[in-house]
Amino acid sequence: MSGQVFVYALSTCPWCRKTKQFFTDRGVPFDFVDVDQVDDDEGDRLADEAYELSGSRAYPVVRIDDEVVVGYAPEKYRRLLGLPEGF
Amino acid sequence: MAGAARKQALRGFFTPLVEAMGYKFTPDEELADFLLEQEVMLEETKGAPYCPCQGRTGRRADDMRVVCPCIPFHRAHFDAMRRCWCGLFVHQDVTDPDSLPQVSASELGLEG
Repeated sequence: MSGQVFVYALSTCPWCRKTKQFFTDRGVPFDFVDVDQVDDDEGDRLADEAYELSGSRAYPVVRIDDEVVVGYAPEKYRRLLGLPEGF
Repeated sequence: MAGAARKQALRGFFTPLVEAMGYKFTPDEELADFLLEQEVMLEETKGAPYCPCQGRTGRRADDMRVVCPCIPFHRAHFDAMRRCWCGLFVHQDVTDPDSLPQVSASELGLEG
């Protein structure tokens, strides 16, 4: 398994929660930020950062090494992390 | 409870709007309830029932595009997925919402 994982999320988004749970359940280390739960300026900066990566305002935005996945997409996460199918 | 009443009111308000666009509430009641709860909270704290899964910029023109139901602003994208981004609404013929993945607009070659 490989890949540094960072999740840009919204605290109100169930798919963001599922995304975090996906990595937690599989023992994949990851960092995350709920961009709506940080101070306004920092939240704006993080939201812009996510937008630069994804080209949209849709969450979750998941960065795995240099690849970016927008949305809850377990199969894509598995592929990028080299996890076996169905794991 | 005010929150429950507002959730019910939003359901009643949204239903004819999305039906006219070929959509319906997701049959996943737990998901629908959670999303409506978030929208009621966002309406109370941010002024409108924004999509719980899309970010706001503070610019009115951007933020109006993510007020629920935001289907008209993302029509091609959502029609391609057969659901809206947060999954509160699905196409009227959908019976298994879990079978509909989130796919970004850019991945589909569309504008978000």
